[in-house]
Amino acid sequence: MEPLEVVFRLKTPVALGFPWISFDSLLAHVKLKELLGEHYYALPTKIPASADLDVPVKLWRDVPVASVSIFEPEPLLQVFSYFKRGDLPFPRGKVSRASGFFKDFYLKTAYAPAERVRFYCTGEREEVERLCRKVPALGKERNIGFGFVEGVEVREAEGEWGLVKDGVAMRPIPVEYLKRWEDAAFLAYKPPYWSKHNVKLCCIPFTRVELA
Amino acid sequence: MNLDAEWLERWREYFLTWYEEGGVEAKAEEAAEFAQPYLDEGIASVSGGKDSMAMLHILATRCKPDLRVFHWDHGPWLMPREVEEEVLEGIRAVAPGAELIVRRYRFGWSEGSRVDWRPWYREFFSALRSLGFKYHLLGVRADEGCRRRARGRVVQRKQWVEVHPVYHFSWRDVWAYIFRHRVPVPRVYFRYTRLLGWDRVRLVTFFDREFEKYGQPQLDKLLSWRWLHDPQAES
Repeated sequence: MEPLEVVFRLKTPVALGFPWISFDSLLAHVKLKELLGEHYYALPTKIPASADLDVPVKLWRDVPVASVSIFEPEPLLQVFSYFKRGDLPFPRGKVSRASGFFKDFYLKTAYAPAERVRFYCTGEREEVERLCRKVPALGKERNIGFGFVEGVEVREAEGEWGLVKDGVAMRPIPVEYLKRWEDAAFLAYKPPYWSKHNVKLCCIPFTRVELA
Repeated sequence: MNLDAEWLERWREYFLTWYEEGGVEAKAEEAAEFAQPYLDEGIASVSGGKDSMAMLHILATRCKPDLRVFHWDHGPWLMPREVEEEVLEGIRAVAPGAELIVRRYRFGWSEGSRVDWRPWYREFFSALRSLGFKYHLLGVRADEGCRRRARGRVVQRKQWVEVHPVYHFSWRDVWAYIFRHRVPVPRVYFRYTRLLGWDRVRLVTFFDREFEKYGQPQLDKLLSWRWLHDPQAES
């Protein structure tokens, strides 16, 4: 395992559903997709997938040593509004488009017009590189063109910056593993990040901390 | 909360200018005159959003300082406590002489309220019925959408009459009134305004699946992420 710096060059802005993208969750997503194939798209909801994922990232206690996304240049968030209408063979007769199967959506999504997304981690370089090359796009709403990746570079980092860099947290770390922290909130700190079982009081990324 | 003071100051100047140019004072006078006959047998429903707060200020300062005010507390999972406290403080500051009636949504103390919104309607309308007032004054504006425009300024419901004093206000008028009279609105407004714009921003329940069709929960997760797992959190 070696300290790595991963830089995704983007073709299109990244749509966000949360302020940060976690690098370990990105790798876990690619790995799970590899493992399950088409079954990936029929996972049970509300229950974390039980597959034992071998994500090539070092663990410090139970926290993956992988940072959250750093957008470059620092973007000013924008909003994109769009319609999502049923592109379906509509049945004959009256169809409700206000609710039910044929419901229309008028959605808005926030996006970050960034050129690059940088991550730091400590992991197996070859495996990380292989998985990163399988990432076609980052963030949300990839089906409508957001977050397309132009290329990815994986190189050795000068230090192990997956957890802390220059005294600043690079990811959520539970406060019980910290000596000092500037700010804390209830956040998920390990994958799957959507599961509330992984939520603990954590330091907030890019605030000052000291590991215990 | 990190607000860009320069950005806010620029907009404040714009709205103060609009207050004069848009004839907002005359509109407020007209709204007060329109609402006056309904206040003795009515109650003002105030959510804490910009429209209802502007309406409350008009009614409390120009019509009846001791009016009755109804506020619905959605509970911590739909309305984080920090925002709720700001709303209540705002109502008390705008209408110190008012009789404030607060009803609580019982299911709002459960996380499930974010997913299942059907009990909300049952409880809310049952609370309104139990109040027993003839007139309900709401901060509905015609400018908000075609359905609201179609409602009209006075609407006869089964058990009460809905009255909309600020019906003819535009979004500019409302903000101009708020800036001119320093009407308190929750600070969270400005975080959303920065992204959505002054014309589109609305105060609705947070992380509410009911508004999924408008992309609201996705935006809440991005802008109000602190309240995602802990509705008591302060920003």
